Amino acid sequence: MELDFSPLIDSWRYLLGGLGITLLLSVLTAAGSLVLGTVLGLGRVYGPAWLRVPIVFYIDTQRAIPVLVILVWFYFAVPILTGISFHPFWAALMALTLHIAAYVAEIVRAGIESIRPGQVRAALALGMSRTQIVRKVVLPQAMVRMLPSFGSVLSITIKDTAIAAVIAVPELMKRAETIAGQSYRPIEVFTTVMVIYFIILFPGSRLIDRLYQRVAHLGRS
Amino acid sequence: MNLDWTIVWQHRWDLAQGAGLTVLLTVLTMLAAVPAGMVLALMRLSRSRILSTASLWFVEFFRNLPLILVVYWAFYVMPVFLHIEFSAFTTGLIALCLNVSAYNAETFRAGINSIRKGQMEAAIAVGMSRWQAMKQIIIPQAWRRVLPVLASTWVSLFKDTSLVSVIAVGELAHVALQIRSSSFRVLEMLTAMAVIYWLMGYPQAKLADWVHKRFEVKE
Repeated sequence: MELDFSPLIDSWRYLLGGLGITLLLSVLTAAGSLVLGTVLGLGRVYGPAWLRVPIVFYIDTQRAIPVLVILVWFYFAVPILTGISFHPFWAALMALTLHIAAYVAEIVRAGIESIRPGQVRAALALGMSRTQIVRKVVLPQAMVRMLPSFGSVLSITIKDTAIAAVIAVPELMKRAETIAGQSYRPIEVFTTVMVIYFIILFPGSRLIDRLYQRVAHLGRS
Repeated sequence: MNLDWTIVWQHRWDLAQGAGLTVLLTVLTMLAAVPAGMVLALMRLSRSRILSTASLWFVEFFRNLPLILVVYWAFYVMPVFLHIEFSAFTTGLIALCLNVSAYNAETFRAGINSIRKGQMEAAIAVGMSRWQAMKQIIIPQAWRRVLPVLASTWVSLFKDTSLVSVIAVGELAHVALQIRSSSFRVLEMLTAMAVIYWLMGYPQAKLADWVHKRFEVKE
């Protein structure tokens, strides 16, 4: 078997651009889902009952449908429904954000619910208002416990952006497919891209594992 | 906008077949990935440096790659290395197994590690071998902690099977996308696909929640 890496060397700029788009899409998606997910999570735990039902339904729906289906639906079906069509990048950003926000919401909920109810009761006994309790007692502790999970969200997001290749977002995965198709060198191209993804994702996930160990005792109550 | 929902009904058997294949992929992957994950976890915890490093790298490698890329890689690269041609279905299955085995290995390892060290020491003190202690003391207890995580992995796996559609495995997503491009009934088919996934996935997600509640470990 002869390996020929020249197609990769010839188009390294093209690939690097793809990597840039992957990272940009990941950061924007992670930031967007962090905001939306926190709102949903807080709404689920502290919101009025009529709000909780739709939030739970939304979260469970996102947990039940593959991200591929959401991406494809957003890119192809939404323009038919609304008459507005999006660039693949924006469609991917919205679809991924809506999907990952559901996971963030679950993390927020789990973090809040992990604080023992005795603490809330103690704060009530001290005469604190509900907002005060949430802001000063529950959230500061819950945040510490959520921190490592938020790290995992970024890693999941980077992996999920590769699926955006299906709707032709010109990110790393899509550009790899293009180069592989044009050069008939799928082995070299896909293996190289595999290494690139691994190099980006591995240090992050190690860092998250460390973080889990570091903050595990801080969250204990 | 004119919509023609009869297209979904016309293709009901194709869609049902696709859904069947999705379920089959999920079940077969899990059947292979549970023992594989177990072996990887035991390798990782064994005293042999070679086994534990090999397992560590396998797990870290496949945990840190987008699954869709592993699917492509299995499709293009694996046959060249192994000199065997696989069907698209087998290729997809292998890619899913590699991914889920890595996650399961971490799940089992965490489960085993969650059992206090004193128990292993006590077992050894009463004359059990390490392997006996693992089999009779540690693993039976670790199951309780492992099961909820396996349930979550199951739900993720069910959704991830949609990714093998990129190498033309005829599961639900692939079937629906094919009908979409041949009939041009884009909105109808994509919505039908989402609804079918929802109908199948929603109960599974709820079941996973129930398993979490049922097996919750109270400290």
